[in-house]
Amino acid sequence: MNKVALKMLFGDPTKCLGLVFGVAFASLLIMQQSSIFVGIMSRTSSIIYDAQEVNIWVMDPSVQYVDANRPMRDTELSRIRGADGVAWAAPFFKANTGVRSRTGNLQTAQIIGVDEATYIGAPRRMVLGSIDNLRCPDAIMIDRTGYKLLFPDTPLELGAEFEINDRRAVVAAIVENSAAFTSNITIYTTYSRAVAYTNNGRTQLSFVVARARAGLSPESVARAIEERTGLKARSSDEFRWDTIKYILANTGIPISFGAVVTLGVIVGVVVAGLTFNMFVAENIKQFAALKAIGVTNMTILRMVLVQAGVVGFIGYSLGLGIVARFFDTVPKHATGLRGFYLPWQVAAGMAALTVVIMLIASSLSLRRVMTVDPAVVFRG
Amino acid sequence: MTTDSPQGGAMTPPPAIAGSQPPAAIRCRGIVKEFGRGETLIRVLHGIDLDVRENEMTFIVGPSGCGKTTLISIIAGILSATAGAVDLFGTRVTSLKGSALVKFRRDNIGFIFQQFNLLPALSALENAAIPLIAQGASESVANAAARRFLIQLGLEKHLEKFPSQMSGGQQQRVAIARALVHEPRFIVCDEPTASLDAASGRAAIALLRDAAVRPGRAVIIVTHDSRIFDFADRMVAMSDGRIEKLSDAREIAAMEHH
Repeated sequence: MNKVALKMLFGDPTKCLGLVFGVAFASLLIMQQSSIFVGIMSRTSSIIYDAQEVNIWVMDPSVQYVDANRPMRDTELSRIRGADGVAWAAPFFKANTGVRSRTGNLQTAQIIGVDEATYIGAPRRMVLGSIDNLRCPDAIMIDRTGYKLLFPDTPLELGAEFEINDRRAVVAAIVENSAAFTSNITIYTTYSRAVAYTNNGRTQLSFVVARARAGLSPESVARAIEERTGLKARSSDEFRWDTIKYILANTGIPISFGAVVTLGVIVGVVVAGLTFNMFVAENIKQFAALKAIGVTNMTILRMVLVQAGVVGFIGYSLGLGIVARFFDTVPKHATGLRGFYLPWQVAAGMAALTVVIMLIASSLSLRRVMTVDPAVVFRG
Repeated sequence: MTTDSPQGGAMTPPPAIAGSQPPAAIRCRGIVKEFGRGETLIRVLHGIDLDVRENEMTFIVGPSGCGKTTLISIIAGILSATAGAVDLFGTRVTSLKGSALVKFRRDNIGFIFQQFNLLPALSALENAAIPLIAQGASESVANAAARRFLIQLGLEKHLEKFPSQMSGGQQQRVAIARALVHEPRFIVCDEPTASLDAASGRAAIALLRDAAVRPGRAVIIVTHDSRIFDFADRMVAMSDGRIEKLSDAREIAAMEHH
């Protein structure tokens, strides 16, 4: 009877399309917005992610997330290096500053200062040049997207000059990094040079980045650092989640995206539910005839669920295909969506949500079908 | 002949019709049907006693609202009686519940409806095969049987057509094939000619008679259509929820003559 159910479904192409469209639209909306939400949340901790060799971040106890730091004394670095379980520790400077190209293009940039000897905390995926070029005077590394923003219509090349707070900077390398939350340009240079660029006072140590000795968990070493120094120390994972939780708790982002996702669910349920209800209502006599003929309620239930399942599958697949295509093409051309992708968890979650949507959408119709009196077929 | 009543007592046989009679395939005793309750209670059937013979076509006739459809709904097990009992080929249908009743209908009863109730998305062949598919037969077996009946009913050129591509008479023939395909012992038809013109209606009933009437099978037709009365072996005239008159073929022919 499943084949009969499918023929009934596809035999009414208008309603079938309406059902598929409802589910596809809901899937598309929810997956696209959820993926963007995940992308934005990832951006909030992009610096932590890019510092791949680091697994402990140490900061002033008042710091709650990565973009708001309170400088520490330079002497803290030595105390952290002396903590149990610390393999190595390096200074890390982070600030936002204005940059201007020679053509007058003014932009805001995030400037990262890393240890002069080890460059720990800087990304290693080079597009042009080498990280060792930072040894040159006024040398900085800039991310590929930042370069295109600062030097539009100019091919990627080393040696381009611009100003950071009226001081000369020279592009010594172009890197691929994760997109940042607060700025579209990220500049990497040595710690001392970054401090000089931003013209701040003596206490400049934004973070100390460190690594736990092999065999020790970053969390346990972070606790040891906290005990020894009185500073706040977090493993990279902990700090990433601290940052995400702070953004979630202190911005309207989750409410905004949550509203869109809720809207998607409502649209899915309402459109699919109403269309399915109309479909069943128009076929109610046929269902009643089937029941009179001797088709059991269980078989009818299975038929309706097969119809709902197929509609859900096609609609979800369509939505998935469109969203996958969107994230495969658009972020390559739109700076604002750089690094955004469709996480498999979002796709899997949407698959489960589609099941829920179709169950809700079909439940009203199911009740109608299950309770229809087969005797109605004798009423003309 | 007496049978056990649903209350356990002896049943009084219904009024006899003169002449030789085949054995009763369907026995209805004391069928009462009420709808609503309290002040809105309506009694539609007032203790119907009826025997329906196998190898015959029994017509139930009467004005609208007299209870014909309610009676065949109860006989066919798709409506429960308020009181009384129906035995269908020895099985007390009124005692069956739930899936047992559904299974009994599926295996023993063929339905022909006034509006045909064919599934619009299925071809004639697929529509006719549904009862066998519902019984769990394979598609090839069901289609083979359906094809045989459709060809017998003159629809060999219309097997793959959808209901919307067929005339009313052709659709009713598909419905007849659907009612017969699983070889049920009881065929119940509700106003089978109501949606057909006179010629198509008579043709459909003639085909139904040829294909359906046989030993071991009973056929009941509820109809208003006096143009097909001459196909009846027996006629049950109802009025206000009661059987008013039982006629056999000879009496029907006499009525027709007059």
